[in-house]
Amino acid sequence: MNFSRFTTSRELAASRRDFLRSAIGMLSATSARSGLALPLASIRPAEKTIVVTFGGGARDEETFAEEGQENIPNLLNTLLPQGTFFPQVRNAGILGHYVATASIVTGVYERFNNFVAQPPPNPTLFEYFRRELRRPLTDAWVIAPSNGFQKIGCSSNSGFGARFGAGVILPKRLLSAARASMPNQTDQLQYLLQDNYEMPEYEVRSSSQEREMHLDTLESTLRLSVDDFVKRARTLDSADELSLFIMRRLMDQHAPSLMMLTLHDMDVAHSGAYSLYIDAIRRADRLCAELWQAVQSHPEYKNRTTVYFMPDFGRDADDDPAGNGFQHHRTGSDMARTTWLLALGPHVRQNAVVERPIESIDLVPTIGKHLGFDAKTPGRYIEELR
Amino acid sequence: MSPEQLQAESFSTYSPAARAFAVQHLALLRRLPLSICPSFLVQISTLDTCFPTERSFLQHQCAALEAIQRGELDALLAPMRSITLPPEMSAMNWVKAPDLFVERLSEVLWASGQINGFHQASRALFAAIPDPADGRERLLLITLGRGADASRGSLLKKLARQGLRLEALQADTAAQEMMSTLRQRSERTPEDYGHWYVDGGERWAAPVQQSASLIQTGYNDLAPLRDHVLERMQTFLQQKGGAESMRTSLASIGPPAFAGGRISSDPVLQRFYTELFTKGSGTQVFSTSFVQWSGRELARRAKPSTLLLRYVPRQRNRGLNDMIAKQSGDTLEPEGSLIDAEMGAFYNWIEMNRISTPGKLTTLAWAEDSQRAVLIGPGTRPNTLSHQRVTVLEALAFARGA
Repeated sequence: MNFSRFTTSRELAASRRDFLRSAIGMLSATSARSGLALPLASIRPAEKTIVVTFGGGARDEETFAEEGQENIPNLLNTLLPQGTFFPQVRNAGILGHYVATASIVTGVYERFNNFVAQPPPNPTLFEYFRRELRRPLTDAWVIAPSNGFQKIGCSSNSGFGARFGAGVILPKRLLSAARASMPNQTDQLQYLLQDNYEMPEYEVRSSSQEREMHLDTLESTLRLSVDDFVKRARTLDSADELSLFIMRRLMDQHAPSLMMLTLHDMDVAHSGAYSLYIDAIRRADRLCAELWQAVQSHPEYKNRTTVYFMPDFGRDADDDPAGNGFQHHRTGSDMARTTWLLALGPHVRQNAVVERPIESIDLVPTIGKHLGFDAKTPGRYIEELR
Repeated sequence: MSPEQLQAESFSTYSPAARAFAVQHLALLRRLPLSICPSFLVQISTLDTCFPTERSFLQHQCAALEAIQRGELDALLAPMRSITLPPEMSAMNWVKAPDLFVERLSEVLWASGQINGFHQASRALFAAIPDPADGRERLLLITLGRGADASRGSLLKKLARQGLRLEALQADTAAQEMMSTLRQRSERTPEDYGHWYVDGGERWAAPVQQSASLIQTGYNDLAPLRDHVLERMQTFLQQKGGAESMRTSLASIGPPAFAGGRISSDPVLQRFYTELFTKGSGTQVFSTSFVQWSGRELARRAKPSTLLLRYVPRQRNRGLNDMIAKQSGDTLEPEGSLIDAEMGAFYNWIEMNRISTPGKLTTLAWAEDSQRAVLIGPGTRPNTLSHQRVTVLEALAFARGA
């Protein structure tokens, strides 16, 4: 067996930093202290938080490295100048999408079987939020793409659990159920329903720990009839677009204070089709900008919402003999473990890069400290986002 | 059972050749920790259907480890020995079914956070084994882009950085010259499984007979195998099994009975072709993924001297279930397929480069029906451009530095 030299996470971060500096002239966080838009005290009471993850992982080559910039014009030119960017976010856990996303929302590297949908054993961000701040059940939501994510809204922890969990919407499952309820429909919406190549179906572990919204409550929750839902779906190109549509509907109907959206189209990379992976990255880039624009134009969200964008992890390096390049994330190498975080919001410094490494599990304690609850996790508070 | 308890009788279910190999290296196998011994047995137990290069490489690895002084080998194996495994794993029948053990091992390593330590330890172990001498001159020929617009400046940009971009390749004779080059090389240096042509669709009219030295196959040739795997996948989807168990299920599919009559009578090829669909991801639905994965697996396993890979347009992307069920899959997507193939070609070059002695690999990637290509070899310089009109044969001679 031959093993080539691997790119280290430090090298990855350096390459992102160099590129960002040359491309848009960003400042380092240590020198940029002037981007605060509003004093903290004036924005704390009615803050809202949105976490956007890319479940599928995106590599530097296709995003922040120089040759990837053409794929993320909105992130680079519109969003980065308005936020603080962390080029070195390490995920030291299991690199499977469900368990990695669960780790992000619990702030603990979860160790359960990625391919069995089950509630995480550790309390989630949503439960901390609702229990500690006494928030109503309509105030926290997760919108996730795949079968298997229905358990992510709350943990199996006895002190927390479903009574404090977030509502979970799986738009593809909703759409599938909607079509099944309309037997005369002959339209082809299969392209909106597909999961990625590696996980066409998930094994679901039975549990009462579930807050998934089903079709029978679609109209009462989103004020959207099944007919209108299907009609709207027909106008969309992908599952991620459907997810964003649902999020905007939630914003209009309930204006939740805490939401998480997982974009998943790019995991089509597992099929080995590079063009489809690139298409999905470009779509995610566009949807991130649309989301931010929706936030900034919505009276309930404008100037009081912090948005965190973060892929759950990367993908394998081209020259790693243990993998097959962009296709998978199986090697556990630095390239696969290293990702980035971009934060935007009224308390977040603009046009700043934080060079020190952080971890994906740091997000929960950071959001907790900011919103006013204490999350018991091994993750560390990200000082630069105070 | 622990590796120290291995006896010659432990391998009674193995084929005679595999058993003989295991017994020959029994002392080494007994010294290996449980975290790695079954990985050796995976290879030993399938020795009958390995390529000759795999057999000789495994022999080389075992001999090299046996030649390492005891204390040094113990030090190399110490990190492997420190891997903690649940007790039930040693109770598995890892001698008879080492592949199942290795699959379970992967789950345990990830779940217990030991995966990085394991990778580091295995890298250190195999780095102690010197590469076997291999001075073969290798040739990688790739065609791609049929039906797509190949005029953009960024065509094959990752490969072009490594060599010479050709803007005036003589297109009308290129295919014929590639095939004749393949044939001549297989005749000049005949070696079992040494020269290959893999096509993503219907093969070019082959001017030569299949032989032990020159293997030719294509996506269409292997359609019965692919259909067989797709049927299994569809059944699995209907049963709503999980992704991981589907992978396990697919990996357990051996060459079907019909393979001998409709695919190949050679058990080595039967296994190789079957595993392209049972262990590859996306190969069952996209011909571009099939060609890339075939090239990768050939480089890794057969280490060919000559490899001709032809990417053709894949089917349009649709819902995975539709594609598995082969519903309305006639529409092709040439432009997306070209992008897929460009990346695939880059990976194929990386893989062939990895197994070649520096300066011994020549690569030509040609956008089919166009005059555009990229040439990489000891005679080319990185990131250069030529508008000189050349034939394939002239280009290859130039790249070799002839």
